Amino acid sequence: MSISKPGISRRSVLQGMAAGLAVAGGPFASSRAFAAREKELNILCWEGYNSAQVLDPFRKKTGATVKAESLTNDPTMINRLRAGEINVWDLINVNNPWARKVMAPEKLIKPLPIAEFEPFFAKMLPMFKWPYKWAMSDDGKELLGSCQRFGPYSFVVNTKKISRKTAEETGWDLFNDPKLAGKYGILESDDWNVFNIFLVAGIDPFKTHTPEEMAKFEETAKRVFKGAKLIGDIAAMNQALVSGEIDLHLTGGTYSVSPARADGYPELRGITPLKGPMAGGKGGISWIEVTSTVNNPNLSPLAIEFLKYVQAPEVAHTVAFAEGTFNPVAQMGNPDCFKLFTPKELEAIQWDSLDEEMARSVEYDIVPDYDKALDVMNAAKRVRG
Amino acid sequence: MVSLSVSDRATDTATKPAGAPRLPFRLSPGARAALPLLGLLAVGFLAPLLAILAFSFAPPRSFAVLRAFSLANYAELFSLSNTVWLSFLWSIGFALATVVLLALIAYPIAFGLTFVFGRWSGLVSVLFVFPLFVSENVRLYGWVLFFIKNGVLDGSLKALGFSGGPQVLYTSGMILAGMVYTYLPFMLFPMTLGLAMVPRDLIDAARDLGAGRWQIWREVEVPLAMPGILIGTLLTFVLAIGAVAEAKILGGQSVIVISHDIEIAFTYSQNWPLGSALAVLVTLFIGTLTLLALQRLDLDRLLGRR
Repeated sequence: MSISKPGISRRSVLQGMAAGLAVAGGPFASSRAFAAREKELNILCWEGYNSAQVLDPFRKKTGATVKAESLTNDPTMINRLRAGEINVWDLINVNNPWARKVMAPEKLIKPLPIAEFEPFFAKMLPMFKWPYKWAMSDDGKELLGSCQRFGPYSFVVNTKKISRKTAEETGWDLFNDPKLAGKYGILESDDWNVFNIFLVAGIDPFKTHTPEEMAKFEETAKRVFKGAKLIGDIAAMNQALVSGEIDLHLTGGTYSVSPARADGYPELRGITPLKGPMAGGKGGISWIEVTSTVNNPNLSPLAIEFLKYVQAPEVAHTVAFAEGTFNPVAQMGNPDCFKLFTPKELEAIQWDSLDEEMARSVEYDIVPDYDKALDVMNAAKRVRG
Repeated sequence: MVSLSVSDRATDTATKPAGAPRLPFRLSPGARAALPLLGLLAVGFLAPLLAILAFSFAPPRSFAVLRAFSLANYAELFSLSNTVWLSFLWSIGFALATVVLLALIAYPIAFGLTFVFGRWSGLVSVLFVFPLFVSENVRLYGWVLFFIKNGVLDGSLKALGFSGGPQVLYTSGMILAGMVYTYLPFMLFPMTLGLAMVPRDLIDAARDLGAGRWQIWREVEVPLAMPGILIGTLLTFVLAIGAVAEAKILGGQSVIVISHDIEIAFTYSQNWPLGSALAVLVTLFIGTLTLLALQRLDLDRLLGRR
């Protein structure tokens, strides 16, 4: 495609670009600078909080324009704030360590009014007893976020193929068993896969690793990824479990398997190993979401309102069973909330073993040499094919 | 392409009397009309590309765009220990195989649409276009349900007393099949357009002069249809080299393709500069290839302007 006659000049292009930029950028620039934000709320979250079931009643109640964008990993959301979107978002919903260890020190979030939120913690399940570590700043003086969804998250098995007892007792070594090669999948959740490859290698993920440990990690990553039948998202894992393509999958738990359990496959079950190489000999990892107000210079007053709104028993129940995945919520400590859960819903979220599984798990944390481990793991994935 | 000419200044100044105000620069009406489009392209097309380019020179795992300059991302990609070339090779291999298979599959269909099907060719065309109305991911998940263990194929065969269907999911062969399926229309229609440009008279004349079917195909049909064939080839190659859904959904990530590596860099790795450098290299590769191909291709002729 050639331009048939000479003539377009650099100046005309630049003029055109400037005009285009003015037209495209104008409305955004003015709305950011001048608009009052009483009727506007932007939420960056894991899926569930972005569902119409959760947001529509709030929209109706406040008459506000509420936008929620869901992402499926914490680092991406935090980097959106770091990349300059701090002026855009009002609430950020990520897993436990990020608020106190990363976002508060980097001034990406601002504290919540303690007097208004402490009463909510009093009604939560006992593990969230005030002052709950992950909701508080390092010095324990500031409240950095509110809590709701949580759950154990290690791996998932089809208990018709591998019994719950065997899976819990064997733990991560299941993935070292050559007989199971080609019979397991790996959930595409790479931050968790870094934790779990360390655990399969018999190494505590949440510390700085020696070169020998990294070498063991690399060998394990290559072997475990090579032996996987497939890598995919939650839907792909559940589909492969239900169809019999795989008997178990690495990285998973209530969050990933609950939709399949609710669909009538209670034999699929999140497993927390009885023991492992982490602090206290624990073998499982759990996550707890902490939702914080972003350090937005023009924060919407609705941000605090929304955090209070989701604490109400009915809304908490809706959040627990919002589209996508089903999870226990901290508000189940309130009898008014707990009674809303049907026996079938409790079965879907493995309520029967929730306490013991949480007790056998360490809480999600930040791996100091995550970047290095992730690069090694990505390289291991490339040599699968 | 809109003509972007300005009036010929040399002629203008020569014919104007001395002392008359000079018009140093005047856009033709066509160029003025194209300004909104140019603006849109600048903001929607050029600006993101420039942002990617700027990011590729930022220090690894940082957001210091235009504040710091580093070649570390390119050095990392070209370092001997980096295995990203594997993903690149897979993507090129899949794209080449897709193009070759599609050329072989689409040619007879295009021939049929042009010369054989007659009044049915409209209906046949619609049948090939129809899948494009459904999202690619949904179609690929449909194939998973078809081929999965105890799925449509395997389950039906078992119900009929056979031992079950072939286990083809999560393999590289399945990825290729998915790509051929997905990109068929993008090869078929340019090829049909190319073949439609072959005058029947020429074929008849060649036959009258004693050329055989093979000779007609080789010396008349293919050369005249070549612009369409080349456009189809180029289009499918460019699309296929950036394909990622087939490897993820049908292949179960048994192969990591280059677009997937870029995606990983932007998500889990949180290494936007590295992902940008990779994107720049892929864009350069495809861009060079496209320009080389377009040099051999006369769009005006294909579109029948002369």
